[in-house]
Amino acid sequence: MSSDPKIKGYEFKPGYSGMAADTASDQTMFKGVHWGKAMMWIFLLSDTFIFSCFLISYMKGRGSTPVEWPNPSEVFALNAFGVPVPLLLIAIMTFVLITSSGTMALAVKYGYERNRKMCGWLILATAIGGLTFVGMQAFEWSKLIHEGVRPWENPFGAKQFGSFFFMITGFHGTHVSIGVIFLFIYAYKTFAGHYDKEKRGWFTSMKGNYVEIEILGLYWHFVDLVWVFIFAFFYLW
Amino acid sequence: MSEIKKEQTTTHKIGIYLWIWGLLFVLSFFSYMVDWYQFQGLLRWSLILLFMFLKAGLIMAFFMHLFWERYALVNVLLWPMTAIACFVGLMVAEGKYTLFSRLFYFFVGGS
Amino acid sequence: MSEDFNDSKTIQAQSSETISGGGATPTPDIDYVRPAELPDQDLYHGHSFITKWVFCQDAKVIGVQYFLLATFTGIIGLILSWLMRLQLGFPGAAGFMTAEHYYQFVTMHGMIMVVYFLTALFLGGFGNYLIPLMTGARDMVFPYVNMVSFWMFFVAVGVLLASFFVPGGPTGSGWTLYPPQAILEGTPGSGMGIILMCVSLILFVAGFTMGGLNYLITVLQARTRGMTLMRMPLTVWGIFTATVLAMLAFPALLVSALMMTLDKVLETSFFMPTILKAGEVLEYGGGTPILFQHLFWFFGHPEVYIVALPAFGIISDLISVHSRKNIFGYRMMVWAIVVIGALSFFVWAHHMYVSGMHPWFGFFFATTTLIIAVPTAMKVYNWVLTLWRGNIRLNTVMLWCLGFIVTFVNGGITGIFLGNVTVDVPLSDTYFVVAHFHMVMGIAPLMVIMGAVYHWFPLVAGRMLSEKLGKWHFWITFLGAYSIYFPMHYLGFIGVPRRYFEMYDSPYITSAVGMNQFISTAAFIVGAAQFILIYNIIVSLKIGKPAGKNPWQANSLEWLTPTVPPEHGNWGDKLPVVHRWPYDYSVPGAKEDFIPQTTPPSEVVETKVEKT
Repeated sequence: MSSDPKIKGYEFKPGYSGMAADTASDQTMFKGVHWGKAMMWIFLLSDTFIFSCFLISYMKGRGSTPVEWPNPSEVFALNAFGVPVPLLLIAIMTFVLITSSGTMALAVKYGYERNRKMCGWLILATAIGGLTFVGMQAFEWSKLIHEGVRPWENPFGAKQFGSFFFMITGFHGTHVSIGVIFLFIYAYKTFAGHYDKEKRGWFTSMKGNYVEIEILGLYWHFVDLVWVFIFAFFYLW
Repeated sequence: MSEIKKEQTTTHKIGIYLWIWGLLFVLSFFSYMVDWYQFQGLLRWSLILLFMFLKAGLIMAFFMHLFWERYALVNVLLWPMTAIACFVGLMVAEGKYTLFSRLFYFFVGGS
Repeated sequence: MSEDFNDSKTIQAQSSETISGGGATPTPDIDYVRPAELPDQDLYHGHSFITKWVFCQDAKVIGVQYFLLATFTGIIGLILSWLMRLQLGFPGAAGFMTAEHYYQFVTMHGMIMVVYFLTALFLGGFGNYLIPLMTGARDMVFPYVNMVSFWMFFVAVGVLLASFFVPGGPTGSGWTLYPPQAILEGTPGSGMGIILMCVSLILFVAGFTMGGLNYLITVLQARTRGMTLMRMPLTVWGIFTATVLAMLAFPALLVSALMMTLDKVLETSFFMPTILKAGEVLEYGGGTPILFQHLFWFFGHPEVYIVALPAFGIISDLISVHSRKNIFGYRMMVWAIVVIGALSFFVWAHHMYVSGMHPWFGFFFATTTLIIAVPTAMKVYNWVLTLWRGNIRLNTVMLWCLGFIVTFVNGGITGIFLGNVTVDVPLSDTYFVVAHFHMVMGIAPLMVIMGAVYHWFPLVAGRMLSEKLGKWHFWITFLGAYSIYFPMHYLGFIGVPRRYFEMYDSPYITSAVGMNQFISTAAFIVGAAQFILIYNIIVSLKIGKPAGKNPWQANSLEWLTPTVPPEHGNWGDKLPVVHRWPYDYSVPGAKEDFIPQTTPPSEVVETKVEKT
């Protein structure tokens, strides 16, 4: 995880001098970074641009509509014991997602320590957290749809509220769902010992390695990261 | 690659993850409180953005290990964000201008 | 698939010796190249026809597949342009042509040529073929993903072409697909056409992302020993930077295509303002059409450089090889590519000067646009200075290179006109713009493609293309292209608007009638001349002169494979070791006028090689 691959001449050096040495070297630019991990990082960079474009569109759309934008803390309030609590469900969802992010981080750690059982259970816990999140999102969607919010209309004000809400949370939810599927697959692979035995992947011919857990972890943390931004811009703005 | 990885991977103490985990909960709680107490205006905005960037930074730095990664990777990942920042900045201006022209031509100046 | 993956199918690697050369003779210290960081790549070798030629994981085969499919779509684009020119030059000559058809052809021609032809050809075709060979990798780092990438592209092309056959036909909203008109009734193809277009673009982006990740990680993480970033051929630099741009720009296209699809299918109002149609208010309301333009051009301008940067890179290599001189200012060339790439994200709204965006944006975007001219001009100077006092071989490849430089300067200078708001406003939406972008990102990259085909065909096929046919092909294309686009500048100045189906009886435009006929005639000839190349390729595959190894006496790694054409795994059982940049041509004191990248310094001690 921390990248000091002990390559002669390219030991970890902090700051820009280390960066200059790595960049000027042959063979690899990211020393000791697994191909798959580098790929996931670049993919996440690309995905960041996708979500940024979504959020920028949302900002531009919301900023330029003269119709009143519904107040999210009222729209997303939930009745608890007869009192409307603003953003209650969203708070719980945030809590669940951060919890799952924490278990994922620990899974990566135990994976590298080759603690197969612990790693597997933590991945499973992460997957269940993700599943809970998707479930609560489905509940939230159905609640809003029940209240008459649609992608094309919105009884509380600007039409774009519904459109952006369903599109952005839907896209994020798709990411979560894909992540959950992969988490279950990787949990199975971990318990089955594919990484200890270096079994080759189903499609790729690459050998199994615990770095794959970290790659999946990067994706999962990214999903959490996006939620941080959605939470701030969509629910708190 | 696997042979190299086996011996060389060093992991961090569990404490650091638990700390970050706890901090994330606390920060989420704070940003929730911003809404709870219904802060408005500039205060609300700066608090929301502050907590958001702190959370994002913690996740990226520690959960995604960027803090320990080499600068080569970190820089490759962070510099493209300037394009996003530029896009955001210009779209803020554009959004305001669109709103202005709508209000001006449809409500104020319109026939 | 992992089940039938056994060790007999993998290349067993022995490339991790510590010192190059090895064996009995101890190598001197100056030849030292540090040992390999990573063990050799395992490759899946297909044995059946399907795994070898159809669902193939070899980047070279995938490159050729990309090349052929992109060329096929390109020919469709060419035929569409013929039909358009027929209408413009000789209105009514094609009986079936209505205004709707014309707009559909304009749209599909633009989209096909920019995205499905040029992008796919440069990055998918040349990128796949050349990146692993030029960086000394065995293959792309994720061969399976690479294969999926091509088949996604295949499906995307299929969906795109399917839109010709749906009710209402393909979309006719111009290749920029601006809402609201793109999805409102009255625009041809506003039903299924636009939906299929958006779906096809989304598929293309998804497929391209898979390919792009491969190109990037191969360049960054899988170079051979001794291959530093500053020893890479400029071709790889160009394709690499273009891929970076694609990875960061295509998201905006994906988002805009997705939102447009939702606007059409679910009647959301992302881009749709309140619209009065025949006195009736439509369901839409409150959206901002200009947002689409921003998103589209946030993709669209980097897209120009996604096409141009590989062309820049490839042309640098071709010029260097065929004028037997090192590329002038290699490092500056690299930095220029990188700077152009970075700046391209800050200039997008110069396509939108007349769109009614924030009026102050003109200052910002005109400034950044003109700044881009600096690195670009630097590149042009460096090409010319590379030719300066070179030992020029005036073969077909060199002709294409020279044609490129002239065309590119021409198109670039009109770009400076259009980058200035005050000049752009009267010229926008005239044929001047059409002439500008066809010169700079149509003809110029096409010249590079042609040059590259003549240059690398011997590597792919093992046979040379016919020089004689090649020269005919070049001269007809070059003179013809100028006959088409030079008069268009004039048409633009007298104010002939683009995207008009017919000029009817516009008195101020009567002088354009003869010119339009001339342009159309030239367009037919130039289009037909491209089939010379196809004929040349087909014939040369059979009876071309055998090329042998390294027919151009080039330095870069792709010519140094043990077998020509290279086989799967590229390098036999031993990876090459790189000791120098690929531009050691005509080095004083050297026995021959080229020193391949793998030549160790101890063999050329007495020569004055550049220190790279």
